[in-house]
Amino acid sequence: MTENVKPTRSIRVRHRGRGAQVWIYFGKLLRMFVYQSDWKVLPMAALIAGLVGMVIRRRFFINMEGTLMGAFAMVCVCIWNGCFNSIQVICRERDVIKREHRSGMHITSYIFSHMLYQALLCLAQTVVTLIVTTGVGVQYPAEGTVTGLFYVDFGISMFLITFASDMMSLWVSTLAKTTTTAMTIMPFVLIFQLVFSGGMLTLPAWTEPLTHFTISNPGLKVIAAQADTNHRPYATISSMIGKMRDSELGGTVTLGQVMDLLTNEDNPTIAELRAKELGGVVTLGEIRNALEHSATFETFKQEHIVENVTVGDIVDIILKGDEFANLRDQDLGLPGVSLGKLLEDITASARAKPLLETQISHLTTVGDVLDAVDAAGILDQYADKEIDATFSVGEIVDLLAGNEDVQARRDQEITLKTTVGSLIDLVGEDKVMSFLEQKAAEASYVKDYENKMEVVVDYWLSLLLFIFAFAALATITLEFIDKDKR
Amino acid sequence: MNRFLDILLTLEFETSSLVSVIAMALYIVGLWRLLEKSGLKGWWALIPGARDYQIARCAGRESEGRVYSLTGVAMLLLNLAVTLFESFSEDAVTLMLIAAFLVFLLMFVRFVYAIRIFSGLIEVYGIRRRWIWLCMISYTRWIPALIWGWNRKYQPEWQVEDIKAEMARLASSGSATVMDEGLSVNLTDRTVTEFFQKKVLLRDIHMNIPQGHMVLLLGGSGAGKTTFLNAVNGYEKAHAEVLLNGGNMYRQYKKMQYEVGFVPQSEMMRGKDTVLNTLLDAAKLRLPKDVSAKQRRERVNEVMDIFGLKPVKNNLVEKLSGGQKKRLSISMEFISNPSLFILDEPDSGLDGVMARELFEQLRKIADTGKIVIVITHTPDRVIDLFDDVIVLAKDSARTGRLAWYGSIEGARKFFGRDKMEQIVKSVNRKEEGGDGLADEFVMKYAKEVA
Repeated sequence: MTENVKPTRSIRVRHRGRGAQVWIYFGKLLRMFVYQSDWKVLPMAALIAGLVGMVIRRRFFINMEGTLMGAFAMVCVCIWNGCFNSIQVICRERDVIKREHRSGMHITSYIFSHMLYQALLCLAQTVVTLIVTTGVGVQYPAEGTVTGLFYVDFGISMFLITFASDMMSLWVSTLAKTTTTAMTIMPFVLIFQLVFSGGMLTLPAWTEPLTHFTISNPGLKVIAAQADTNHRPYATISSMIGKMRDSELGGTVTLGQVMDLLTNEDNPTIAELRAKELGGVVTLGEIRNALEHSATFETFKQEHIVENVTVGDIVDIILKGDEFANLRDQDLGLPGVSLGKLLEDITASARAKPLLETQISHLTTVGDVLDAVDAAGILDQYADKEIDATFSVGEIVDLLAGNEDVQARRDQEITLKTTVGSLIDLVGEDKVMSFLEQKAAEASYVKDYENKMEVVVDYWLSLLLFIFAFAALATITLEFIDKDKR
Repeated sequence: MNRFLDILLTLEFETSSLVSVIAMALYIVGLWRLLEKSGLKGWWALIPGARDYQIARCAGRESEGRVYSLTGVAMLLLNLAVTLFESFSEDAVTLMLIAAFLVFLLMFVRFVYAIRIFSGLIEVYGIRRRWIWLCMISYTRWIPALIWGWNRKYQPEWQVEDIKAEMARLASSGSATVMDEGLSVNLTDRTVTEFFQKKVLLRDIHMNIPQGHMVLLLGGSGAGKTTFLNAVNGYEKAHAEVLLNGGNMYRQYKKMQYEVGFVPQSEMMRGKDTVLNTLLDAAKLRLPKDVSAKQRRERVNEVMDIFGLKPVKNNLVEKLSGGQKKRLSISMEFISNPSLFILDEPDSGLDGVMARELFEQLRKIADTGKIVIVITHTPDRVIDLFDDVIVLAKDSARTGRLAWYGSIEGARKFFGRDKMEQIVKSVNRKEEGGDGLADEFVMKYAKEVA
């Protein structure tokens, strides 16, 4: 055979290259938009956006759970739109592609023209979705993290998610030989994307790496970050407590159990409570003003401080009381005569008996005493004097716990019966709700949802990577189209 | 879960008890003889996976055998993976669940394919279908294997062909002289590898087709007509040298592909585009870069005139009639004015009058100095328009061979038949309703040209 081979003639004719072919196919696809009813994807996108918008509008961007739910719903909308844009585009004309490839069509040009066309379609769907969701009442924030305009930022995210899904479906469309096969594969791809988004469902640990292969994962994160999910109130707790208002709380405890609980410093909550400081620095003037306007103090002033007390009783107290020992030993200036000795002599003296039996007063009140010492005058004089009255809850608890009376009553039972609502009202419902929502939101803080420019841009880059990766896969897969010719 | 998985795997591999080991040994003994009866090596019965494929070959169910064999290997690997994983991890509930699901899926597939393969075997041995029940259960499969294998009463209706021996018997050689003008084909063979098995689709085809000739390509189903055309235009590379007007189709494929117009059997065009736009795009793709937009449009108008498409130029392709679609499909290739024009059944779906008109147009194209090669299943109504005929036949090694290339009259004398359809019938296999003379004519032609 070889002896017959002659030098082959050279062929210098040049045909259109990859770049020029892109525009041939792009033009063809634009015509298909009109003739093949590809335009139908736009009203479909509007319908889907309308339905989803109506469901999420009351909570999206309002509270944490609603925002997360809304973000997930918007990701679903984008993935759905993207997937159904391109799932059939290649497999339905596989034979045509084979023929054109044989006639000199470059697969890279064909895929790139699809990328351009699908990008336009996804952009239009994003705009439609934003308009429709705004129309049905979704309240978008005004400020964006990257460009300053939320609509632009959010639009970019939605576009990238839709486009990435579109490219993924384009790849599936190159893998499937028929439209039936493509439509059979599609539900599995969608379920994989939604289940392994990593945001809504708790996944087993070993499946976590799978979330890196889903578009929904960076999609959900970027929307959650842009929506500042971390700083939205956690509404479920308020709603749950609202439902629990009528729930009754009650039970019987002993005073000892309460005291043991309050003195247990191993319990971090109790330790925190005990460390809490009460009071502060006050002036005597402030104390006087407070007392003057206090009805309780007015009543207290009417209290009798001594009742049916004789001089003998007072002398007896001085003679017997340990606290007066120093007083009793006080020297009166006479050799061998102390105050104690003098009082003992007086008590023993018969002449002093009438004096000792004399009642001092039976009507003296706290007010009388205060007036007698001119307490108001003294307080006025030292009105600016500051008193440090800082003390901790723990100190009070310890004081109570060490009190003999309290110790004696340790076994006394206290029966409590109340409702959750009553307890909340005791503190104030608004205060309780805002406190709980804030604490719950702090507990639900997710680092991935940080509303920072670099975080958002990072997710955008991830989505771009998906776009180009799927486009590359679609190109590689379609390059093997000649292999299925047999 | 592990227990469940064990049971599933045991059911498939029969390795858990002495009884199952004995059952497997008996199955191998029976299968050994069974394979030998079908003309295969008995020792294949010893190799897991491979024995499944070989038994499928005995049953004439090769493609099913591939799936059956691969699923068997997959289950074996899965079994190994599960055993390994169990020794490394105790917390494997989820993975065991997945493994159990996969095993169940594979078992189901194997069950279905076992029905297909053993049904085929029952047909080959011409015995009652009720035997299938024993074949379905792996514990009882040894019974039919032993009986069919060792009882002389049971003999297969046919044996697995020894393709290599057949190929050696029908070997031929030759070459065609390379011409400066026209098409020179020197094809040694065209092979594919399927499931580690090399298959020869075409072999020893040598010819020269001068310019301006319109050539009819004949052959029964599976004779390799489309494969031959794909090999000629370089789309499916063969072990061959194909030169068109001095240009090497294989070495310069990217450039030469524009010199070949290949019209496929079905109209592979976008139905939602207009005729004019379809042709304009085809012109952009196929015509050289330096052709101006005006020249392109002129060429499109010229082609529409030739094929009578002007009246429908603004219609969507899907709205055209069958004949118009055929003509548009041909126009798309003709637009680049190719030197070699290949048409795969261009008359399918057309009535006699329309088909005649179409072939007359092709004749006119050939008369302008082009080479036109046409496959058709109704050649006799237009045979007067052809210069030459190529007859491809599937020999007993199931390889496409050249049984004739030459004038129409020469073919009639060579085959001793007047009608082209009778020639096709003569080279078709007996089981396809033909005369089964392919080997005879292939060897006769080889001797004639030697």
